[in-house]
Amino acid sequence: MSDRATSTETLHSGDSSSHSGRAVHLTVEQASYAYSPGPGSAPTFTLGTTSFQAHEREMVAILGPNASGKSTLLNLISGTIAPLSGRVELDGQATSSLDPRTRAQRIAMVHQESPLIFPPTAGEFVLQGRYPYGRALRLASEADVAIARGALAQLGGANLVNRPMKALSGGERQRVILARALAQQPSLLLLDEPTLHLDIGAQIELLERLRQLAEENRYIVVVVTHELALAAEFANQVVLLHQGRCLRVGTPAEVYRRELLEQVFEAPLEVELGPAGRPRVTVRVRRRHDAT
Amino acid sequence: MPRNETLRRRETHPFAFCAAVMVFVLLSGVRAQAQSRLAQFTDEVGRPVDVRTDVRRIVSLAPNLTEIVFALGLGDRLVGDTTFCDYPPEAAQKPHVGGPVNPSLEQIAALTPDLILASKGINRRETVDALARLGLPVYVTDPRSVEDMVSSMERLGSVLQAEGAAAPLVKGLRERLEKLDRILAGVPPRRVFFVVWTAPLISVGRGTFLADALRRAGAHSVVDATADWPPVSLEEIALLDPEFLVFANANSAEAEEQIEELRARPGWRDLEAMRRGNTIILSDAINRPAPRLVDAMEQLARALHPEVFAPHGAPSSGAAHASEEACPCAR
Amino acid sequence: MRPLTLRRLVWTCAILALVLLACVVLALKLGAVPISVTDLVWNLGRIAIGQSDQLPTDYRLIVFELRLPRILLGILVGAALSVAGAGFQALLRNPLADPFVLGVSSGAAVGAIIALIAAPSMVLVTPLGAFVGAIATITAVYYLGRRDGQLDSATLLLGGVIAASFLSAVIWFLMTTLASRDLRGMPFWMMGDLSTPLPSGLRWIFTVGLLAGIGAIYTTAADLNLLVTGEREAIHLGVEVTRVKLVVYVSASLLTALAVSASGAIGYVGLLVPHAVRWLFGSDYRLLIPASALGGAIAVVLADTLARTVVAPTELPVGAMTAIAGAPLFIYLLRRRMP
Repeated sequence: MSDRATSTETLHSGDSSSHSGRAVHLTVEQASYAYSPGPGSAPTFTLGTTSFQAHEREMVAILGPNASGKSTLLNLISGTIAPLSGRVELDGQATSSLDPRTRAQRIAMVHQESPLIFPPTAGEFVLQGRYPYGRALRLASEADVAIARGALAQLGGANLVNRPMKALSGGERQRVILARALAQQPSLLLLDEPTLHLDIGAQIELLERLRQLAEENRYIVVVVTHELALAAEFANQVVLLHQGRCLRVGTPAEVYRRELLEQVFEAPLEVELGPAGRPRVTVRVRRRHDAT
Repeated sequence: MPRNETLRRRETHPFAFCAAVMVFVLLSGVRAQAQSRLAQFTDEVGRPVDVRTDVRRIVSLAPNLTEIVFALGLGDRLVGDTTFCDYPPEAAQKPHVGGPVNPSLEQIAALTPDLILASKGINRRETVDALARLGLPVYVTDPRSVEDMVSSMERLGSVLQAEGAAAPLVKGLRERLEKLDRILAGVPPRRVFFVVWTAPLISVGRGTFLADALRRAGAHSVVDATADWPPVSLEEIALLDPEFLVFANANSAEAEEQIEELRARPGWRDLEAMRRGNTIILSDAINRPAPRLVDAMEQLARALHPEVFAPHGAPSSGAAHASEEACPCAR
Repeated sequence: MRPLTLRRLVWTCAILALVLLACVVLALKLGAVPISVTDLVWNLGRIAIGQSDQLPTDYRLIVFELRLPRILLGILVGAALSVAGAGFQALLRNPLADPFVLGVSSGAAVGAIIALIAAPSMVLVTPLGAFVGAIATITAVYYLGRRDGQLDSATLLLGGVIAASFLSAVIWFLMTTLASRDLRGMPFWMMGDLSTPLPSGLRWIFTVGLLAGIGAIYTTAADLNLLVTGEREAIHLGVEVTRVKLVVYVSASLLTALAVSASGAIGYVGLLVPHAVRWLFGSDYRLLIPASALGGAIAVVLADTLARTVVAPTELPVGAMTAIAGAPLFIYLLRRRMP
């Protein structure tokens, strides 16, 4: 086992069944959910039946305005909640029925940042991604250290290894957090609104990197976002949600129809097809002195 | 040396050795027997205490008990007392074991006492329990009234094998108390406010020996509370309108300064008793259940009821005799 | 990158254990009655070879029946409070949490007061009453701290703080209105006091409880490293968050209950020792827990030695000593956290 930090091979050596030749497959079929505050009272929020499938090396964008059910869908996919009806399966196994340890070896989720109360160094932080594989005290083996270094390197953060987390910039911190997810060697990488606090340059950089990771590490990447332009540019598939209902699933070109988008986002929009077959969305604001 | 003499020497050695051992064993046996002469008493909180009949080393954990030990003439047997034990002056010279609330158990143990005296109102039960667990005999007193204090002294006299000293002391105190009762019989008590502490304002509760002492000195504490040292408010006192304000202080000059200072304060200056100058400073013996308590009671009685006390203590016919000597403390 | 290895774990604990041993020897030596170290070693040797009855009586009394039990109690209490503090800091996601923030010490005091009034002559009434009071408080706060069926950090903190202040008010109410002289020692006890050692039977129970509590928390040590980065994050890294929070809550509260029942509420130890250990050895809970246990023992033994000697022959309560040393440290810590 090589302990060179940079090879992507290091990241692939592991026991994940996704890399044994069988393609990774995420199936969401007629999955629905309802939150209710207590037994007997009416559900306050529901996610209507949603279906889509994804394969390795694909990026899926779950798109919709606020309170459309995106996070709920993401939680269904990650297995933290079980669907009320239908199924959510990764490689044929229901995500919600996996035991926590196995689930953490297959699915990694990146959240919006929580404040770190006792911040470790970046290296120690990324090493935590190996905990799902550890024994009793989860003390890191040499292999674990190599994997963690590899994850950081793949994100261009190798130099951050010994820096304390609290001394990092926002962008650097995000890279470290993502590296921890990579260190889990998952098949499925989930991100909940990762672009929220980034400027446009950083947003694009992140999504490009995610595309690259999906390709190199053969992940399925599912990103929850409300950024129309980014989803259009980077996703292979888009799941469009509106007020708890799944309106459309398909490629960006299929999903981005003006009437649909205007209904969902309640804004005047223009959609045109770009050169690569990817739609471009522009805002259409009526001004008094404009001809349109 | 000829061989047979050497042999004889060797044979006598074992005998000498055995003899020595026997003597040693006998002596230690005798010592052990002497040590085992214990008498069992029950102290004032119901604990059984085994005390040697020849107590030589006493440690006192409360100032009033120190005073009693000296009053019984056993001051030379006191090997340790607290930092607050200041009467008689010799008490302050004794080795200290710390304060009454948090004495050093090590110091006490290092003094190898035959008996430790404690007072329920002053010492903590944890201290008493810890000392008992070490195998040291602790006798706890709990005087709730003046009579308790006197009988406590009597009992301590027998515990310490000092009945001879105790009896006349106790008799004398009882006589004085009875005389005081007689003089004050039928005289309506004066309403007083006894100030234990000014900030926060604390008075005395009805279950204490102090309250009993006040009563028997012809005073009636306007504060009627079940807690031993109840905090009270000045307004409440103003409402209760006591005739006299009573302070206790070892140093009367300091107390007079304190009263002057209080007189200027709002709340205090509105008290009728303060305006009329009816303040009494007692010696701080009133705070300790010890023989001097009776002195303080007499002092208080004279100050409150000068009309029934004539010079030389003879009961008067009721005319007021404001003699300087009788009540130098009343203002 | 220097990940935690078993070797570093063991070495750190060994060094701390040696420091503790040195402190114990120092504590045996110092006190109102001076003891020389050579005498000490000589007599320990005598005991070791079974000649303990040849020790001079007062020496045996002072060193072995007074100081040694006191030091042992200090070790147990210091270890319990520090581990509980470290646990609560993770559970409540708050670096300023200490073992008493959830009201355990106030509940113990109420229990002790009620027991002292109800059965003043019962043997060991204070520790037993305190323990019962503590357990009742732990249970009540557990129910106050639940949200959606599991313990929620913010709700727990709020519920605990409210319970603590309510119980404090009850304490002062009881102390002011009840006449009993049996309550004389309460303020002293509440400050934290090691001068009344436990009888040996109880000490064994305490030791077993301590080891069980520390052991239980230690099983979640790796999980706590993840938990402090965020609850959702911990879930997705394979931590059974509900179970871990429950284990930490129960263990840390029990450790606090044991410590408080034996010695009152010794403050600042549970708050500051974990931070000192983090500063020296890092925040990894797999090292933090055993190191805090040892560090807490060292801190309390030293504080108690100071309390016994600084104004000899009067003894300060050890809680007063930790407050005097701890409060400036606490202020410093506070300032460092606020840029």
